[in-house]
Amino acid sequence: MAAVISISHLCRDYRDLRAVDDLCLTVEEGEIFALLGVNGAGKTTTVKMLSCLLKPTSGDALLGGFSIVTEPDRVKSLTDISMQETAIARNLTVMENLLFYAAVRGIEKETASARIRALFRDFGLGEVADRKGKLLSGGWQRKLSIALALLSEPKILFLDEPTLGLDVLARRELWQIIGRLREKMTVILTTHDMEEAERLSDRVGIMKGGRLLAVGTAEELKRKTGSESFEDAFVAVVTGGKSK
Amino acid sequence: MRSLKNSLRRVGALTSRNLLEILRDPLSLAFLFLLPGGMEILFYFLFHALTPQFSMDLLAPGMVVFGQAFLSLFLGLLIAQDRESSFIVRLYTTGIYSFEFLLSYALAALPIALLQGAFLLLIGAVITPSLFSLSLLLSLFAGMIPALLFLALGILFGSLCSSKAVGGVCSIVVTGQSVLSGMWFPLDGLSEGFLFAMNALPFRNASVFLQNVASGRILTEETGRALLILLAYTLVLFSASVLVYRAKMRRN
Repeated sequence: MAAVISISHLCRDYRDLRAVDDLCLTVEEGEIFALLGVNGAGKTTTVKMLSCLLKPTSGDALLGGFSIVTEPDRVKSLTDISMQETAIARNLTVMENLLFYAAVRGIEKETASARIRALFRDFGLGEVADRKGKLLSGGWQRKLSIALALLSEPKILFLDEPTLGLDVLARRELWQIIGRLREKMTVILTTHDMEEAERLSDRVGIMKGGRLLAVGTAEELKRKTGSESFEDAFVAVVTGGKSK
Repeated sequence: MRSLKNSLRRVGALTSRNLLEILRDPLSLAFLFLLPGGMEILFYFLFHALTPQFSMDLLAPGMVVFGQAFLSLFLGLLIAQDRESSFIVRLYTTGIYSFEFLLSYALAALPIALLQGAFLLLIGAVITPSLFSLSLLLSLFAGMIPALLFLALGILFGSLCSSKAVGGVCSIVVTGQSVLSGMWFPLDGLSEGFLFAMNALPFRNASVFLQNVASGRILTEETGRALLILLAYTLVLFSASVLVYRAKMRRN
């Protein structure tokens, strides 16, 4: 498979703090790749740089062959993002949110209607179509947020902590939805949930202090660290084997 | 041409969304329409016989400007909430520009100001039918000038403050418009310093400008001076709000 994301020596500083440090990584087309790490590991900063919300201090990344530094508009046309925080219009209904986002994305009305119908079917959003954003439960808000990101049919989708704060049932339901995306696009998800990373992703990159410490499938990481569980493998990687 | 079409479409979509966000909030409807409308009726019937301060030709246009001060509050609140909820940040990944956001907030606020003005002037004209005139109609549109001042303040405070703080900060604008416009009390006996402050700040000038336009005193020195001061403040505050908004977005 061809590489759809090629990250080369990407760095980002916030004053004295290096949030992302010399990140090099390749992600293949159709892959679900999880960036795993504790809080402050640099996952969200990485996603913000790849989605052209933040400029890198140095380094570059090519998404679909376009540079995030010199061709951000081309990159933006290939990508979409569902943020960690709820980013929906509160007083607009689910249907209005989708139509609004389609208009902002420049999607023609007929195309938008067809895609919204498909999203209603895939996400079950039809039953809350007329409910205002602020009246939706956390699970429905997150589903709507991801549905919004899928409207433009991006080649690359970023999901920043997609199930953070959700109950078990809502989380499982979202996992099923995210799992189905594999056939259609490349997904980069950030998480600090071991189970989420292990279940959903084809490969995992473990970050700590802005550095990418290890990359591989969950099985490869377990094997490399001699761990029985993926959680043990993660702990072994981030502590350098000092803690079991 | 294609990028202009896309830009217009984005601004149109954002404007509709902003309009709906404000008008679907029951609190904003209460403060933008019911409160100033109720006060207009109440103050007229309680006090107009006692003092000319509350005759409808002064009260109605004065109340239009007073009501616009609440617009800065709800616009500021919307912007602050959008910033905090990552709504704006998310939309930046779609290729949208800062000026499109700013334009959409302004374009959403102006029709609300126009509706609010029509509502408050109509109340005045229904209570005092002699107010019906071309000047009154003209004042409805002239009211967009002070509306620009208040929406610049809304964008400025919405960009600077958190959603919790913006209410308190914008209430200073409402209080400023209330106390410094001079519409609630006679100006005789006020100290020179206070009068100077009232004339130097935009609040009284906004009221005087609209009251004069509504009464047909358009080509007077007082109207011209009030308009000039009002435009100067609007220009400065609008420029400041654009700069602050863009700086805040870059930082976010």
